[in-house]
Amino acid sequence: MHNHSTRRGTMRTGIRRGRALTLVTAAAAITFVLSACAPSAPEASSGPVEAGNDTLTIATTTDVVNYNPLIGNSRSDYWVTNLMYPHLLSIADDGKKEPQLATEWGYVDELTGYYEIRDDMTWSDGEPVTAEDVAWTMNAVKKDAPSGTFYGQLANFVSAEAVSDTRVEITLASPDTSIVEEIGFWGNVVPQHVFEKAESVATFANNGSDGGWVSAGPYLLTDVQVGQSYSMDRVDEYPLVEGGTPVAAKVVYRVFPDVNTEILALQSGEVDVIANALPPAQVEQLKATDGITVEEVVGLGYAHMTYNMTNPDLAKTEVRQALAHAVDYDAIRTVVLQGQAVSTGSSPLMPVLSDYYDKSIKEYDFDVDKSRELMESAGYTADASGNFPVSFRLIYSLQDSVTSQWAQLVKDSAAEAGITIELQGTERNTYLAQTNDGDYDIYAGNFAIMDDPVTNFTLSYLPGGAINYTLVDDPELNALIAKAAVTADSDEKISIMRDAAKIVHDEVYDNIMYTQNLYFAHSSKWEGFVTKPSELLSIVNPISVASAHKTAAQ
Amino acid sequence: MTSLDPVNATPTGLPVSSEALSAEPVAESGRAGAATWRVFRRDPLGIISLGLLLLLVVVALAAPLLASYPASYGTDVLRPPSLQYLFGTDSLGRDVLGEVIWGTQQSLLVAVAASIIAIAIGTLVAVIGAYFKRLDVFISVIVDLTLSLPVLPLMILIAALIGPSTATIIGVVAAFSWPEVTRLVRSQALTVVNLPYVDAARLMTTSPVWIIGRHIIPAVTPVIVVSVVVTASRAVLSAAGLAFLGLGDPTTWSWGRILYEAQQSGAMSSAWWLTLFPSIAILLLVLSATLLSIAYNDARNPRNRAR
Repeated sequence: MHNHSTRRGTMRTGIRRGRALTLVTAAAAITFVLSACAPSAPEASSGPVEAGNDTLTIATTTDVVNYNPLIGNSRSDYWVTNLMYPHLLSIADDGKKEPQLATEWGYVDELTGYYEIRDDMTWSDGEPVTAEDVAWTMNAVKKDAPSGTFYGQLANFVSAEAVSDTRVEITLASPDTSIVEEIGFWGNVVPQHVFEKAESVATFANNGSDGGWVSAGPYLLTDVQVGQSYSMDRVDEYPLVEGGTPVAAKVVYRVFPDVNTEILALQSGEVDVIANALPPAQVEQLKATDGITVEEVVGLGYAHMTYNMTNPDLAKTEVRQALAHAVDYDAIRTVVLQGQAVSTGSSPLMPVLSDYYDKSIKEYDFDVDKSRELMESAGYTADASGNFPVSFRLIYSLQDSVTSQWAQLVKDSAAEAGITIELQGTERNTYLAQTNDGDYDIYAGNFAIMDDPVTNFTLSYLPGGAINYTLVDDPELNALIAKAAVTADSDEKISIMRDAAKIVHDEVYDNIMYTQNLYFAHSSKWEGFVTKPSELLSIVNPISVASAHKTAAQ
Repeated sequence: MTSLDPVNATPTGLPVSSEALSAEPVAESGRAGAATWRVFRRDPLGIISLGLLLLLVVVALAAPLLASYPASYGTDVLRPPSLQYLFGTDSLGRDVLGEVIWGTQQSLLVAVAASIIAIAIGTLVAVIGAYFKRLDVFISVIVDLTLSLPVLPLMILIAALIGPSTATIIGVVAAFSWPEVTRLVRSQALTVVNLPYVDAARLMTTSPVWIIGRHIIPAVTPVIVVSVVVTASRAVLSAAGLAFLGLGDPTTWSWGRILYEAQQSGAMSSAWWLTLFPSIAILLLVLSATLLSIAYNDARNPRNRAR
């Protein structure tokens, strides 16, 4: 399960940067607000859009560190490589998987999965994209173990085989009803004829030094000015976009110091799109700005706090419950997130996962008297000033501005309940190291995409799970998760997962606080963006970038 | 020379450097102090600067009376300045006026603490170097080396490694400010050490501690006073800079933290009041400290008194 840590680590990367917020929605309520002002899909314009000569300029805040999509990477890495190396599957707003390179997928039997892939995709050097590329990529990742998201999904994967030009079959070590979709969504496909020259895909830089890059996405990276810009040219044949050819002739990613400068650049017309999610407090203001369109994107993750159960105080259920009741969740969502977040009912099964969401699980009330009662029943006595003799150290990343803000609120409301919380905000790398070492009493952070409940529960709540930050080991919960992982019937699987979520909720093994709606800004001179969940995909996913075009008036 | 204390008067025959700081290598006795004050109070810039500094000190000390401690959040988010919120509100609806007032405490604390540490170390190293000639070469090399280091990147590195807190900020700023003090004080102390009354003192005792403490340090005090002010204002700038980079204490209000949070929340491009007011506070402190040290230095210089 260690493998998965990288994946989640990766997902965290961008979120925890201050400017890069994350996460989901109970979309319905807010979507209509935007639909009025935001042009949504290409069909909004009249007829198919002709491929033009325009350049789409996108602002980002970090350089591309890694051009190899198989290695754990930052936001910019993901955005740029995602325009060149296709995924088998894409994702819908409710977390369900959609076809991308693969057209069909599923299981042949308990230990064999399969993907049927398109036959009309080619690499930019003329080679066709075949099942061989897909199988070779998977096997190479399994063999070389690059430190990335992709490898994290391969725990139960044994090998892949191209049984025809368009069909790949994978062999599993044990039954796993999530793995086909998870590999399909998280894994890129790379060109075998380029990557096989490298000794190991885990160390291959893919920095274009050997005659440039090869792309099967809508764009091909052609020019890199480190610290400044990444220029990509259109690939003429991209069958996944309407019309078969990307509309904008060029896409340029420009690097800015922070979100403030990005906003200024958008306002001055220097860039057309900001790839980073907008800070919550900026959304209303930018919506009201002429010439700027704000798009809402569904997140698929959550922000949470976990209580380290190796701490003898926090090992007591009542203490964790007392802490959970001493948080003003509404204030956090209303003020810090400006109402751009929804409650998950304190359950890891978020409303956005509509099949799994269980309305009967309710959010912990904010009730400091209840917290005090719980502390007393756990055997603690408050001193004369009403404080209990406990103090907990809460860690968070200073680069994550939203968490930094609500950490203060958590501290203040816990103080009302007589529980002392000491805040320890640190630079991101220190925070990640502390997280890995279990060096905290309370951990605060968030995940961008928690698309598959079984996978997430496995990682979050099984002993040894890479993101088991509570360090929980509950035999009853373990048994439920193990059972769900081998249950093929979806109704039964959902029912098991709901039971598991109830345990997590009641025992406060995790305190899920909200899923956040994300907002992205682009120039009103452009339209036709296609939104996808999370900041990773948002309006800069390959289909969206390939479909975007200047408005008719231009 | 009439205004000088006759006991400590500079012997006219001695070749003394003519630069302003060494023009009067003597302790401020009562009379000299009074003379300095007479000249100083005729300088409007000096008086205004002193008034501003005192005002900031009062604001820092009386912060609880002037504004309630910024609450963890408010409902009026990013409101521009108005009668209700004189300095506007930030992205969590907190009153910027309260943040600036409470930030004064932290900023002055850092300024005072960092400069005291820097002055203590700097002066001690300087007089020891000046008195013990054999150590001087070694100390000079260390000082020159430290002065040639790229200070800001090092400060950032150290603050990031140790982790943000008020103590870290004070320590880091002090650690990189003392060599300036040493250089300034050393040049003054070198002249003093060669004066006849120090030679005379050597005849009275063999204890260098006594000579340094009784005769040399009092003689360099004016220079120290000037460098306190200069170091303090530099400390405020450095602390604000570090806080703006997210290396300040995230749980205590400081002017730098207001700027940092404005940047983090992406509000800088629209909410001008978030950056204007803390910047004005920083400007006031640094400017008045600098002007005060210039005015004091001018007033202390007997050549100016003669005007």
